[in-house]
Amino acid sequence: MEKILLKNLNNPDAHKIDVYIKGGGYKAFEAALKLQPDNIIQMVKDSGLRGRGGAGFSTGLKWSFIPKDPTIKKYLCCNADEGEPDTFKDRGIMDWDPHLLIEGMLISSYAFGASASYVYIRGEFAFGAKRVQAAINEAYAKRFLGKNILGTGFNHDMYIHCGFGAYICGEETALLESIEGLRAQPRKKPPFPALAGLYGKPTVINNVETLACIPAIIERGPKWFSSIGPEKSPGPKIFGVSGHVKKPGLYELPMGTTLRDLIYNHCGGMLTAKPLKAVIPGGVSAPMFTAKDLDTPLDFDSVAAKGSMLGSGAVIVMDESTCIVKMAHIINRFFSHESCGKCTPCRDGSPWVTNILSRLEHGDGRPGDVELLESLCTNIFGRTFCPLADGAVMALRGAMKNFREEFLYHEKHKRCMV
Amino acid sequence: MGLQPINPYKRYIMVTVKINGKEITVEDNTLILDAARDAGYEIPTFCYQADLMGIGSCRMCLVEIEGQKKLQPSCVTPVLHGISILTETPTVMSARASMLEFLLANHAMDCPVCDKGGECELQDMVYKYGPHKGRHAEPKFKFHEKDYALSPVIIKNSNRCVQCMKCVRVCREVVGRNVLGALGRGDHQEPTSFFRSFLDCDADGNCIEVCPVGCFMRLPYRYKTRPWDLKGADTICPYCATGCRMVIEHRDGEVIRARAQLGVGMNSETLCARGRFGYEIINSEARLTTPLVRRQRHGTLEPATWEEAFRIIKERMPSLGGNTVGGIAGARLATEELYLFQKLMREVFKTPNVDSGSRWDAAAVEGFIAATDMAEGGVSVFDCMEADTVFVIGSQVSEENPVTEYIIRRISAGRRMNVIIAGPRAMKLDSSANLLLRHYPAAEAALLSAVILDINAAKLAASADLTAAKDAKLDGHLKAAGLTIDDVRALATKLRNSESIAIMAGTEFLRYPHGIESLNLLKELLRSLGKKVRVMPLLDRSNQRGAWEMGVHPAFGPGYVKAPAPGLGISGMLDAAADNSMDALYIAGADPAALYPDEAHVKEALSKVRFLVVQDIFLTETARLADVVLPGASFAEKDGMLTNQEGRAQIIRKLLPPPGKAKVDLDIIRALGEMYDRSFGPKNAALVLDEIRRAQPMYADVSLAFNNKRNVDNKLDNKAALVKGTKAALTIRKFEQAASGQDAQYPFMLATGNHLFHSGRLTNYSKTLNDLMKGMTVEISEEDALASGLAAGERVLVSGAGFSVTLMLTVKKGTKRGVAFIAENFDAAPVNRFFRKGKGAPRVKITKA
Repeated sequence: MEKILLKNLNNPDAHKIDVYIKGGGYKAFEAALKLQPDNIIQMVKDSGLRGRGGAGFSTGLKWSFIPKDPTIKKYLCCNADEGEPDTFKDRGIMDWDPHLLIEGMLISSYAFGASASYVYIRGEFAFGAKRVQAAINEAYAKRFLGKNILGTGFNHDMYIHCGFGAYICGEETALLESIEGLRAQPRKKPPFPALAGLYGKPTVINNVETLACIPAIIERGPKWFSSIGPEKSPGPKIFGVSGHVKKPGLYELPMGTTLRDLIYNHCGGMLTAKPLKAVIPGGVSAPMFTAKDLDTPLDFDSVAAKGSMLGSGAVIVMDESTCIVKMAHIINRFFSHESCGKCTPCRDGSPWVTNILSRLEHGDGRPGDVELLESLCTNIFGRTFCPLADGAVMALRGAMKNFREEFLYHEKHKRCMV
Repeated sequence: MGLQPINPYKRYIMVTVKINGKEITVEDNTLILDAARDAGYEIPTFCYQADLMGIGSCRMCLVEIEGQKKLQPSCVTPVLHGISILTETPTVMSARASMLEFLLANHAMDCPVCDKGGECELQDMVYKYGPHKGRHAEPKFKFHEKDYALSPVIIKNSNRCVQCMKCVRVCREVVGRNVLGALGRGDHQEPTSFFRSFLDCDADGNCIEVCPVGCFMRLPYRYKTRPWDLKGADTICPYCATGCRMVIEHRDGEVIRARAQLGVGMNSETLCARGRFGYEIINSEARLTTPLVRRQRHGTLEPATWEEAFRIIKERMPSLGGNTVGGIAGARLATEELYLFQKLMREVFKTPNVDSGSRWDAAAVEGFIAATDMAEGGVSVFDCMEADTVFVIGSQVSEENPVTEYIIRRISAGRRMNVIIAGPRAMKLDSSANLLLRHYPAAEAALLSAVILDINAAKLAASADLTAAKDAKLDGHLKAAGLTIDDVRALATKLRNSESIAIMAGTEFLRYPHGIESLNLLKELLRSLGKKVRVMPLLDRSNQRGAWEMGVHPAFGPGYVKAPAPGLGISGMLDAAADNSMDALYIAGADPAALYPDEAHVKEALSKVRFLVVQDIFLTETARLADVVLPGASFAEKDGMLTNQEGRAQIIRKLLPPPGKAKVDLDIIRALGEMYDRSFGPKNAALVLDEIRRAQPMYADVSLAFNNKRNVDNKLDNKAALVKGTKAALTIRKFEQAASGQDAQYPFMLATGNHLFHSGRLTNYSKTLNDLMKGMTVEISEEDALASGLAAGERVLVSGAGFSVTLMLTVKKGTKRGVAFIAENFDAAPVNRFFRKGKGAPRVKITKA
């Protein structure tokens, strides 16, 4: 398949604006400037593009919530705080094709009238931040940014904001708090960011990959976009595959590619002769699949129908040598460490769960631990302020559903099954 | 929410919702929590507090909404028409129990040694909602081993924290100091000061009061008692005229705690440092416990019996005194006492010479009362905060009336309104203001006159002559006030564009009365432009308004009824005394020697009074000059009523008997009266109140009903307690502005007022407050400090004509250049030594000591 999002991944100079323009870059933006903003929103709606950050919300619909009043300042925030373990799709775009992101952001900003945009980059992505900043500077020099862009009267400024090592900043309202210089904790909704977001102004928060899809939609039309993959969640999708496969890495494939196809064709199959034990289809918070689910098409609805989620598209493949309890412990340790501390169940519940998993993993299980874990999952799930702890619980519940006997083995025999 | 001011321009839509099957109709956008509580269902909370912005973080208040998968936090979720809410289902109950289980997971569980034990919200909730069996068997995370002090009054144990963040939010949203925040994240999140450093803050302890557990604690109260061993009485804080409700509590006769209660009184849970930690004066060793008499002329004061003291008074105080006898009552006495005091002076001693307070001129008071519409009844501060514009002038409100300031800050942050502040010194409330005018001390008149001219400019523009005259006048005013035309225009524009305006006028108008006339003129002008204008006085003595309304004033009797023959006010009496024509002076609860502007004059005058009786709770500067000293009672030792600055009548209750042989002031005044006239009375506070209600239409049907209940609704504005209006003929005299010319030798103009930690000289007897103050200070602006090469914390010599004193320098950003401030509360640096009678603001110079 033709690459849309990762087309410049192997072009070492694509981050330079001249190379990018030579490859047809900023054409879509110039074309967009000739369109009515409302038409662009309609095109994105028609394309069926759904947010690639994990929730899969219709991007065009999100934009259309922004008030049309031109006297109100509006903002676009790009969520580039890609911080989940094994998720690395956005950095590919930021590191190697930053102008694609900038072009996407410019078109979006023009569509709903944002006068400034922020790229919230995970602090650890120093290289990506440097690349994006250099690209922004180049875009200013070429008058794609600044006052009266390309003589159209459209003004736009773009800034990057580097995070400081908190996963919670990937939550959109915590991201806004962080940009404002406050403690990164999620805000209560309503008001939703579309009405009162950054600095109290209407704000759209989109994922890097989502924004990178925009130029292609403008250039080739929404029909073309929606013809890729299944009808309900169309478009190209980047899958970041890691774990026990021969060729881990980034793969841009149409939505709806099956897990089996991804693992055995594109990634070259399992790393060793050991068979596949489990696979996480969409980032560490997504419940695990087992070998029997390998024919699930990877798109938002199909994965959800099987009880997991596509999330960010980070696929983690585990073979028979993997201890699921250890995996669950690692995942939960991450989430409890990243809990912002705002609400009780996440703040005090997740570390408790992690402590129990740590004991189980390290041969110190006690009778009743698995039952206690299930009870704690019930008490945490759906009762937190934001979905962070829900993610941890979903991962654990998925692991316990499919591999309960491993947990019980740890509890009883105080050692690992594998 | 209970505290959202009702906006007359907003249309209220009512919606119907079902709560546990019960249908109720509430305003749209009401929080589910409030609606449920209205319907009579209890929902537990930690992080919710009506006067703070909701954060929905403790998750105790989760409820079920039919049709929604997840439980919803009722404290941040507004109702929607037609929804059905369930607050007591098994799921909700189990969610509550599980939240408490999570909170207990890392809780220190050291209830046996925790000060909060017995009144801890976490204890109460676990008792009520479970879980009654612990499942957490992992190691607990500990923030620290030993409790650490955050300030001289705050000690902290983070291991008990439930992370409700009320401390952080009250500090930011209500107090405005913003010195608390959270360190770390997740279960390591710790609300505390900047890296646990020692705080330099207002020390008001509101973080302690809002803390539901034993995390923030009072340091002076630490380990002294269990809450159930305390006996308490409801009272009013005696340290300013805001009139905060509080409870003072004693154990074995020693008052060891003052606390405010959620939803009780207009202050709800807030107090300032004075109120919360100033109770120590009640226990002070220095309290007067026995009458003192001077048996020989120029002798010393010696202890005596009440009989002897009264015998001496009877011998030396002529009953038909007429003009040679006078009485001064302090504005901290209860209303009943003040009423009886003026009755004693007027009916027993037959003298019209009666006044209250030690600092203000009687004619200034009369004008101020007229200009601030006090005779027209009480004006609630909450009503004032509903105006489009609130204009604070003549008051360092952040220091004089801290809790009034909290109310201004909190409400103005929640709605679109103008807050305009005019004053020479920077203060904390400045951050809430959208217009600041920094004028010279005593220049309120010039500022207001300039604004009046600007608002009237349209009228004057018709004639060129008038315009020219106006410009010349305007220039004069601007120069006198140290302002630019832009400042004045900005103010005039904001006033012109507002439909309703609340003016909060402070005591600077009493200190420099030439501003009163302009204040009144501005009020009248704005009214003539069709604006709704409310005026609220900002006063610094707890019962100042009560004293005036009881007629403790030479020009009028109770209810502002004109006195048949006006007598002498404090200035008049002191002048007469200096002239050797005062036979006797009875001063109760006032300390003119320490506070009257011009110490030399007042001391000379008092020493020339032939017979001076002073009644107080400490041996004050004035009492030292007395012939007979009578020991009175503090606010903790009497029943009575106080009227705050808004005109809100509130009762205080007796907690303890007065120490030693000291007596309640009402009993002393009555006994004195009975000595001359057996029928003098009424005999007790309740009967005096009945007489006041009969004699004084303003108090005839004021409700003193007081319900001391934790009131989660925060309906704080009890309008039934506001005094009613009356017809009064008060005159506003024209005062000449006392010249306070430029003088290169003395570059600073001296301003004075109350220190944040003090009220008058009374609070000097509180060790905690003195410790908080860290010594006596003089405050100047940052620019002046730079220009004169002085740094904050340095010892400096402040010298004026005839007096100089060494103080510590504090520097404030934003204060007007050329202004120095010394509080009037320091015993060892009596600021009234700088002042000269009738001379306006004194000038001083500041040099390195």
